[in-house]
Amino acid sequence: MGLVFTKLFSSLFGNKEARILVLGLDNAGKTTILYRLQMGEVVSTIPTIGFNVETVQYNNIKFQVWDLGGQTSIRPYWRCYFPNTQAIIYVVDSSDTDRLVIAKEEFHAILEEEELKGAVVLIFANKQDLPGALDDAAVTESLELHKIKNRQWSIFKTSAIKGEGLFEGLDWLSNTLKSGGG
Amino acid sequence: MSRNDSKYFSTTKKGEIPELKEELNSQYKDKRKDAVKKVIAAMTVGKDVSSLFTDVVNCMQTENLELKKLVYLYLINYAKSQPDLAILAVNTFVKDSQDPNPLIRALAVRTMGCIRVDKITEYLCDPLQRCLKDDDPYVRKTAAICVAKLYDINAELVEDRGFLDSLKDLISDNNPMVVANAVAALAEIQEHSSRPIFEITSHTLSKLLTALNECTEWGQVFILDALSRYKAADAREAENIVERVTPRLQHANCAVVLSAVKMILQQMELITSTDVVRNLCKKMAPPLVTLLSAEPEIQYVALRNINLIVQRRPTILAHEIKVFFCKYNDPIYVKMEKLEIMIKLASDRNIDQVLLEFKEYESIIATLCESLDTLDEPEAKASMIWIIGEYAERIDNADELLESFLESFPEEPAQVQLQLLTATVKLFLKKPTEGPQQMIQVVLNNATMETDNPDLRDRAYIYWRLLSTDPEAAKDVVLAEKPVITDDSNQLDSSLLDELLVNIATLSSVYHKPPDAFVTRAHTSAQKTEDEEYPEGSEAGYSESSSAIPANGAVSTPASVAPPSPPPAVPVPDLLGDLMGLDNSLVPTDEPATPAGPPLPILLPASTGQGLQISAQLTRRDGQVFYSMLFENNTQVPLDGFMIQFNKNTFGLAAGGPLQVPQLQPGTSARTLLPMVMFQNVSQGPPNSLLQVAVKNNQQPVWYFNDKIPFHVFFTEDGKMERSAFLETWRSLPDSNEVSKDFPGLVIGSVDATLERLAASNVFFIAKRKNANQDVFYFSAKMPRGIPLLIELTTVVGSPGVKSAIKTPSPEMSAFLFEAIETLLKS
Repeated sequence: MGLVFTKLFSSLFGNKEARILVLGLDNAGKTTILYRLQMGEVVSTIPTIGFNVETVQYNNIKFQVWDLGGQTSIRPYWRCYFPNTQAIIYVVDSSDTDRLVIAKEEFHAILEEEELKGAVVLIFANKQDLPGALDDAAVTESLELHKIKNRQWSIFKTSAIKGEGLFEGLDWLSNTLKSGGG
Repeated sequence: MSRNDSKYFSTTKKGEIPELKEELNSQYKDKRKDAVKKVIAAMTVGKDVSSLFTDVVNCMQTENLELKKLVYLYLINYAKSQPDLAILAVNTFVKDSQDPNPLIRALAVRTMGCIRVDKITEYLCDPLQRCLKDDDPYVRKTAAICVAKLYDINAELVEDRGFLDSLKDLISDNNPMVVANAVAALAEIQEHSSRPIFEITSHTLSKLLTALNECTEWGQVFILDALSRYKAADAREAENIVERVTPRLQHANCAVVLSAVKMILQQMELITSTDVVRNLCKKMAPPLVTLLSAEPEIQYVALRNINLIVQRRPTILAHEIKVFFCKYNDPIYVKMEKLEIMIKLASDRNIDQVLLEFKEYESIIATLCESLDTLDEPEAKASMIWIIGEYAERIDNADELLESFLESFPEEPAQVQLQLLTATVKLFLKKPTEGPQQMIQVVLNNATMETDNPDLRDRAYIYWRLLSTDPEAAKDVVLAEKPVITDDSNQLDSSLLDELLVNIATLSSVYHKPPDAFVTRAHTSAQKTEDEEYPEGSEAGYSESSSAIPANGAVSTPASVAPPSPPPAVPVPDLLGDLMGLDNSLVPTDEPATPAGPPLPILLPASTGQGLQISAQLTRRDGQVFYSMLFENNTQVPLDGFMIQFNKNTFGLAAGGPLQVPQLQPGTSARTLLPMVMFQNVSQGPPNSLLQVAVKNNQQPVWYFNDKIPFHVFFTEDGKMERSAFLETWRSLPDSNEVSKDFPGLVIGSVDATLERLAASNVFFIAKRKNANQDVFYFSAKMPRGIPLLIELTTVVGSPGVKSAIKTPSPEMSAFLFEAIETLLKS
């Protein structure tokens, strides 16, 4: 039985890359998370005018991770990247309480997108290392995650700088995708 | 592309774009790469694949250099048509400009310079700054060129970010290639700027001279060109520079040689020692002679340049006149140039040599006479017959030869008949024997009775009467001594020669025209800003119209390289007045011309002009713009010495010839048509239709008046488009280039009359269609420099209200265009 499943999985995911979008407001930490996942270290970043794309191999799954710039001027072009996306990693700066409302609005706008209907959603409540950062429960409330319907989602407390929480999130993501969630 | 890659050109299935889109987003790298290749293939054959912009840009972050290059190529082509989406590429540029591979860093910075999208220009400054200080010389050199490109897009940004200083620093770079490219970039920027930006100092001079010996041939050309604009402090410095540069004369590359010659010629102007000058002239001769052993095209370029050089320094090639003797297999354009140079070089010392050469050709006559039957071109035949008549006394069988042509006299073309007639008369006058006498009878009979060509008949009658009245008089007329041939038509005016010498080894020296006569420059918005920063008045004496001529030092531009007549950028009449005092900028009056025409608007009423009244209007005739003028002298004294000067204006209109107004007696008037030229002294700043004119005469103060430029005089005669070309042009222009305007008061009464009137002003009717109760008319016109103008007029014929929409690559002109359309529809 187990052997059959392994074969099945390798045919599903063996060569296939899962397409993941990392979205969120500017300065949420998306690029830092991408390179922390890819290289395992913290790189110095500048605002992403455009995108970064890297391949991250984790738990036998190849993730093709698209980190899209979060500035207001670039958000309209996110939609260019929506087709064929299996998962979204939505990154929130948990210490930037002033802009949580905007983060919520952008988040729910994404969920409305027809092209992302089948995508699973992983939320990173990032910057937990900063004083005054809200915890996952508070972020859940601020983003009104309870309103999510018909979609698998999960939220993790993370600190990209310290490398905490990221791989736990990726574990959830790979398990969810393997079990057909994407 | 390798041969295998040709397959990318062959997919033309239906739904190609969606198919490509899918492939571009494939999860497989190879498939994506193939797809990008297909996209580029489609692009190169002219298909519009701009809709795949984001999909292609998403393939940009790759380690595969080939793929990256292709995506960059795509970006260069389409970024302009997708200015908003181009921002998505910025981050990749930033990353690539920090790539460990210097090739990728250079590629990124080069591509950035080619993407002319305002929105992203600013983001590219940081990477550029980094690359200017890169460890790798290849990256630095590429970045230097990028600065010049960026300057063209946004000059202000370049100055604010201190890129000019970085460029100047690069002149001291330890890599000669970087130095050469920095020089090239600075020279390019200088040409676009009206302020001195690139001035060679004694410090940079030594850097340049050092780099000159080490960099590539094209780098040497850049440096030599820059050095030729350097004004040495004294004869000594000039000698030193020249000494360092003379080894370049031995270079294998023609461009290097010519640039070195140019540079030496410029510096020689300062050298006073006749020994040194003679020595230099001697050194320049062999390399110039060597250029003449290259292929004909290069010979031609060399000859055109030599033509200029010998006008300034005939001694250089005085002893080399032999190399300009024509070879039998020289192409005609080379022969013509050689002849011209021979004329210029001919002197008492070498005239025998030259004449000996030409005598060679005289001996050809016999050969030609032997091959008369082979002549079938009428022109050749006519020329040959002329030779026979002209040299009848030297050609023993001239009568036989001519006779052989006479048989076919009635069938010959007119020009051959005319020559036969004249040649036969000449023959008869030279050899009044029986044979020729019979021949002349035949010819005269034929030419008077059997022809209906009045030219031939009348000429025959004149000969006939001359011969029958007084054969001696006929001799005096027909065999009159030819006037001595003097040729000064090809001597260039000295200021033009100066300018052309500065531009040796460029197109300008081949055309024998100053660069601004054929180089068009886009005036960027940034230049407008410059005008604001540097009030025009502060730069009196410096002409922006000469921007194509590199001037190192605005105010101190040496007289020898000043353009022919640069009016300053000053709209203030006072300075214009001062300029009137400069002889070389004035157009003297000449003999009168009095064309008639409709009444002209009065621009200088007699009350203002102390009795002189001037009416004038711009008009277009026979493909040229004229300033039609009427001068009326209501004073008590004769007025003479009229001159005219136009201030800088948006279209660079200037007098194209002398103002031809005779001495005006009191109470008389004179009309004249002054030919105008465009793009001569173009004013910067927002376009307007103001034409400021100053007129002077010997008796009165300078008069100033303003005129308005009617834009329709610029529409050229070749503006008619085929329908298909019209449609294609309309589609190819982006919608942002379409501007429309309503003329609520205008009525189109008669369609035919309107179309005729528009056509008379070179606005050509293309098509008409009905839209509900309205008629839609399409017209095409062409502005100078071949800029097309497409016009759509929508109206109900006979009812007031015309909607006009225009589409043109130059929508900034739309205000004028609408004015022109309104004028044409109204009149």
